[in-house]
Amino acid sequence: MNRRVVITGLGPVSSIGTGVTAFGQALRAGTSGISAISSFDSSGFPHYMAGEVLDFDPKALLRTLATSEWGRTSLFAAAAARLAVEDAGIDEKVLAGAAAGSSIGTTSGESQVIEALTAEWVHSGLDQITPAYAAQVPASRLAAAVNQELGLTGEAVTLSTACSASNYALGYAYDQIVTGDADYMIAGGADSVCRWAHAGFYRLGALTEKVCSPFDKDRSGILTGEGGAALFLESLESATERGAHIYAEVLGYGLNCDANHMVAPDPVSIAECMRRAHHNAGIAPADVDYICAHGTGTPANDAMEAQAVVEVFGTRPPPISSIKSMLGHTMGAASGFGAIASALAIDEGFLPPTTNYRTPDPELPAIDPVPNESRPAQPKVVQNNGFAFGGNNAITILGRVA
Amino acid sequence: MNATAITPDTPGHQDVRENTLAITGWGVVTSLAIGADEFTTAIGEGRSGLREVTGMFDEELPEHEAFAMPDFKVRDHLGRKGTSFFDRSTSLGLLGCTLALDDTDLTVTDDNRDRFGIVLGTTAGSIKATSDYSRETLEGDKPFRVNPVLFPNTVMNCAAGQSAIWLGLKGVNATVAGGRLAGLSALRYARNQIRRGYADALLVGSAEEFSPHTAWFSHRQHSAEEGRVKVGEGSAVFVVENAEAVRAQGRTPDAEVLAVEVGSYGAPGREPDAGAGLADRIGRALRRAAVEPSQVRAVATGESGIARLDDIERRGVDSALGGEVWRVRASEWVGECQSASGSLQLAALLAGHRGHPELDGAVSVVTSVSPDGGVGVAVVRGWHRARGDHRG
Repeated sequence: MNRRVVITGLGPVSSIGTGVTAFGQALRAGTSGISAISSFDSSGFPHYMAGEVLDFDPKALLRTLATSEWGRTSLFAAAAARLAVEDAGIDEKVLAGAAAGSSIGTTSGESQVIEALTAEWVHSGLDQITPAYAAQVPASRLAAAVNQELGLTGEAVTLSTACSASNYALGYAYDQIVTGDADYMIAGGADSVCRWAHAGFYRLGALTEKVCSPFDKDRSGILTGEGGAALFLESLESATERGAHIYAEVLGYGLNCDANHMVAPDPVSIAECMRRAHHNAGIAPADVDYICAHGTGTPANDAMEAQAVVEVFGTRPPPISSIKSMLGHTMGAASGFGAIASALAIDEGFLPPTTNYRTPDPELPAIDPVPNESRPAQPKVVQNNGFAFGGNNAITILGRVA
Repeated sequence: MNATAITPDTPGHQDVRENTLAITGWGVVTSLAIGADEFTTAIGEGRSGLREVTGMFDEELPEHEAFAMPDFKVRDHLGRKGTSFFDRSTSLGLLGCTLALDDTDLTVTDDNRDRFGIVLGTTAGSIKATSDYSRETLEGDKPFRVNPVLFPNTVMNCAAGQSAIWLGLKGVNATVAGGRLAGLSALRYARNQIRRGYADALLVGSAEEFSPHTAWFSHRQHSAEEGRVKVGEGSAVFVVENAEAVRAQGRTPDAEVLAVEVGSYGAPGREPDAGAGLADRIGRALRRAAVEPSQVRAVATGESGIARLDDIERRGVDSALGGEVWRVRASEWVGECQSASGSLQLAALLAGHRGHPELDGAVSVVTSVSPDGGVGVAVVRGWHRARGDHRG
């Protein structure tokens, strides 16, 4: 079996909007999702901004899960999945009775649960920790939450390949449908803002103070973010049969590993990952109309990413923008939000902007970051970049259904 | 599709079904033994890996014994250089990878390292490293004074990423957070990567560390379970390749993974029943493997004395394979190793084959069950290895 795979539902739960309509409008408008940290006490930290989903209301979004039994990240994943299924308009009973599952990416899984346990350890001792929290630690619960919320009995797999994890998840889900192992898949990612990551990125010198400005000459780092991103996947045949709205087709993906350094990006390896993605998707670089960047806003990432882009695309690459300028770095969800933005770009005919862009970087002359305002365009093929600690590169390619 | 049963035979004299994986070497790190041959001997002798662990950490432990390695230091195996900042999960996973490579006849070269990757399973990475890091931010008035060098240890793909660096493997590098299903989920992920042509060879396995955190987390949840197996740690990693390619090269696998199926059902006591789900998945896996239930010689279960989970597994296995099939309970030798357990169950089956030519071609099954309603099954056919094979 070698089926074509399409995206027919989008479920963003983000700091700039929850649900496809709100998220799409915010992307076009260049809305900022950054605010002063409220999920933990940030006093004592020199920097205190993040992209939190302040209005996340799992009880309002979920129909099946008892929200008290699940950590915040699992709830993000399940809520995003629920929205994606609603957006896809597929009958819930049909879905639950079908060969259907989920693959969900994450960086830190139930980070807030581990932080709560750590606080109990500090204040009372490990012998006093809450058993229910201990039960919530396994990151496998993210995909399990999705399947249980939707009543799916197929595979539930959580891929914890850090900040490119959603692209791993999307690629895996795509393969399940291509091969006929599954008929429907939810793919995406989820993470929660947490204290230790805020501290760690700060100490790495990778955390900017208030504004994330990818590709800008004066860019100074990331802001941590959070949320859940989900995409509903099915075969082209299935979508056509049920008259579903098709956002985009998944053309393929590429994975590789730097095997070089845990934290520093490697432009040679990133370029190789792009070539793999193009090869697997059956496209040439000239076919790509827009790149949804990894674009974290650190000096190193954006320089290395741009270098790899020029290596693969030449000195006139397609426009490349970073939605992290609006969302912050949502970690394992990041390339899931990138995939949603890419699908919307194809479906609605616009390129999301890189906001907070002031000064062109003379070191990045080839880069058109779609500065500050979204741009009308009709991209046929979009490349969605995801890179990660551990040198885990993952790139997905989406296209308009022809 | 023709479901004619394949008769046990030596590898190379039977059809390889599509998407079959070959295992051409493996490595194990447990309190019982380190290394495939050593593990095989220890299993054969029926030894136990239970150890006295009092004083292993600064923190008090809930129990005096565990299937843990109080004296384990990664530098004793891999040297001091480059290993000093590794967390325990990374150390266990990486050592498992290096032992698996030592055990196979496949060598890493500049010609294959781009298509040679790693797929490791975990529960939540190194929970101790992460919690220690989190703790640093809660103590003192400067919460940002954490050690940047240790930050990557808080990320769940640390073991796979560090192993790739150590071994120079630039192919697909994935981490599957599967908890008790991690070993089988990693195998399934690997099967997909190889059948889709994204990779030629993968180191596939899972690792779990023992720490005060894992010990107390388990104790606080399950101490009322009277028959509970004590907590353990370890890793098992397999060199996995396309079975057809291995045979075409005239090489002999240790085993072939004929099918891996997983599913997601209700948590124990909830609908849909995971026991019935497991039975269904075992049935599907056997059909995919073209094996009749009566041909299954052994089933290596994840049973570890937690009644509500063991009950699911027992009902699933009984329903699909009958009550007579031989049960292998690896947890009795290596402890309750969470994400490492599925891989260690598979290793226990392969240990049974390694020195026993009379078992050549026999089919076994590995099953796993998670507290969140996940179930998994792998169908495996194994062969013995003559002394000196792969070591020349």
